Amino acid sequence: MQSEHRIIKSVYAAKEDLQKADEFIRDFIPFIRAEASKCISRPCSEQDDEFSIAMIAFHEAILGYEHSRGTFLSYASMLIRSRIIDYQRKEIRHQGNVSLHAESGEDELPLMDKLADERDHFEESANREATKREIEELAKVMADFGVSFSDVADNSPKQERTLEACASAIRYAAENKQLLDEMLKTKKLPMAQLVLGSGVERKTLERHRNYILVMLLVQTNGYEIIRGHLRHVLEKKGGSRR
Amino acid sequence: MKYIVMECHCGYAVVLDNEGRFIKVANRQYEVGQRVSEVIEMQVPQDAAPKKKVNKWLYSLAALAACLVLIVTSAFQMEQITYASVYMTINPEIRIDVNKNDVVVGLEAVNADGDALIEGYDYKKKMLDLVMDELVDKAIDMGYLHEGGQVSLFLDAENDEWKVSHGEALATHLNEYLSEKLSVTIEITDKNQPDDTPANPGGSDYGESDYGEVESSTQTPADTESHESDYSENDDSQTDYKESETTDDGQTDYDEPDDTDDGQTDYGEPDDTEDSQTDYNEPDDTEDSQTDYDEPDDTDDGQSDYDEPDDTEDSQMNYDEPDDTDDGQSDYDEPNDTEDSQTDYDEPETTDDNQTDYEIYSDDEGSEDD
Repeated sequence: MQSEHRIIKSVYAAKEDLQKADEFIRDFIPFIRAEASKCISRPCSEQDDEFSIAMIAFHEAILGYEHSRGTFLSYASMLIRSRIIDYQRKEIRHQGNVSLHAESGEDELPLMDKLADERDHFEESANREATKREIEELAKVMADFGVSFSDVADNSPKQERTLEACASAIRYAAENKQLLDEMLKTKKLPMAQLVLGSGVERKTLERHRNYILVMLLVQTNGYEIIRGHLRHVLEKKGGSRR
Repeated sequence: MKYIVMECHCGYAVVLDNEGRFIKVANRQYEVGQRVSEVIEMQVPQDAAPKKKVNKWLYSLAALAACLVLIVTSAFQMEQITYASVYMTINPEIRIDVNKNDVVVGLEAVNADGDALIEGYDYKKKMLDLVMDELVDKAIDMGYLHEGGQVSLFLDAENDEWKVSHGEALATHLNEYLSEKLSVTIEITDKNQPDDTPANPGGSDYGESDYGEVESSTQTPADTESHESDYSENDDSQTDYKESETTDDGQTDYDEPDDTDDGQTDYGEPDDTEDSQTDYNEPDDTEDSQTDYDEPDDTDDGQSDYDEPDDTEDSQMNYDEPDDTDDGQSDYDEPNDTEDSQTDYDEPETTDDNQTDYEIYSDDEGSEDD
């Protein structure tokens, strides 16, 4: 009872604070692994997909927990189980496709894959290093603005239309570099200009303020790889204009 | 879809997809900067779950409420269904609709007077008896129903049992109710004949008012009763006339103008009906008849006359002299006694009447002989 109470307290704390959530999850890794093992009826290693799914399910449990949902641990175990079952069903559906795919390539493509993999491996690792550096750089700048990637993930638009609206604002900013410079100088999002320039409703932009901020930062100098990854967003502008 | 892993946490990773979305995904040993093509997205449970529960509850509650409303309304509808109708005709003719429980559900006027009668009357949720009582009261207040009037009821229902049972019940109820106020005839007609019903009361009123309730047609009872009265009087008169002195008794009897009237009407039987008609229709015809029926006292007298006019007198006589039968006998045997009694009742004025009486009684005797 007492321990349950403490758990609930830390769950509510973890909801607010990512740092505490990480710690909390780390404390409960044995529990998570046990639950995952129960579900797949074999010992679960950290390499298993099921384990990572159990981990994220536990995180979901933290975010979704409420007093009305009973004790936290039973709620979490229920969520882990259902997530893993979801995943396994999805995999079963996948397996038909994958097996076909694998049959054609079981002997040949895997070789190709391996060749490609090996060829890519050096490039990729180098690439990954560069990407990582860029991301770390970006994270540092974002920290200046008081924003983390997790915040952005929570703040990211999910609807297609909203995403498109935000993209048009981002494109407008990308065309007007002085806006970006101004933003970097003042550490403030030039919301008024964005609204004026892109014609997107202010309310929409305000709601996704963190997301817009990060995307604008990406448009500033030095994030070529990320920008390359996001070229769809910028291309759409070109496509629509032309 | 390609994703770049942007941030790694213990429980999850943040990835950026091609279209610029940042997503939290399951961290499958990702490293920052890694490109992946498939992710397992995090699905934060919405608060919808408990809401849904409440909704389900609400749904069942709403369904229950709907059922209740249905039941109640259907029950209410059942209450409102007209099961039978009662047509009440005074002169205002109205229709009272009742449901199975004899609760009035509708009130409608059949003629213009009926409209006037039910105007402003609230029948809702009242029993049939009560509504009829109140309407009759109202009719009395409004002058539609007077002493000696007639109320005819016509029951209309699919169920014949209902008709029979309620017909009698309503008649007796109305009678009881009205007996305290007015003497009124209650008539129950089987078929709705609005033309006949108004015609009947005129004739029946007078005949019936005297003799109580007569449900059948009015003429016959009037006749029979007149006969009876005749005979009762005849008996007296005979006794009277057998002994010359008893004529005095006859005088006393016939001192009262009612007797003579009765006698006249009685003995001219064919004339009788004429007289009665003329009486009611044309008041000028015979003065006596007018006085009889117009003045309530007369009618009272008339009643007493018809029922036991002579008897009462006899009885009075009897009480004066303790031996009832003796008087009767004494009349025949000993004229003196009767003379005494006669002398008691003797009034010089009556002698004139006597003569007429004699004439009448001689007729009487003659008729009897016939």
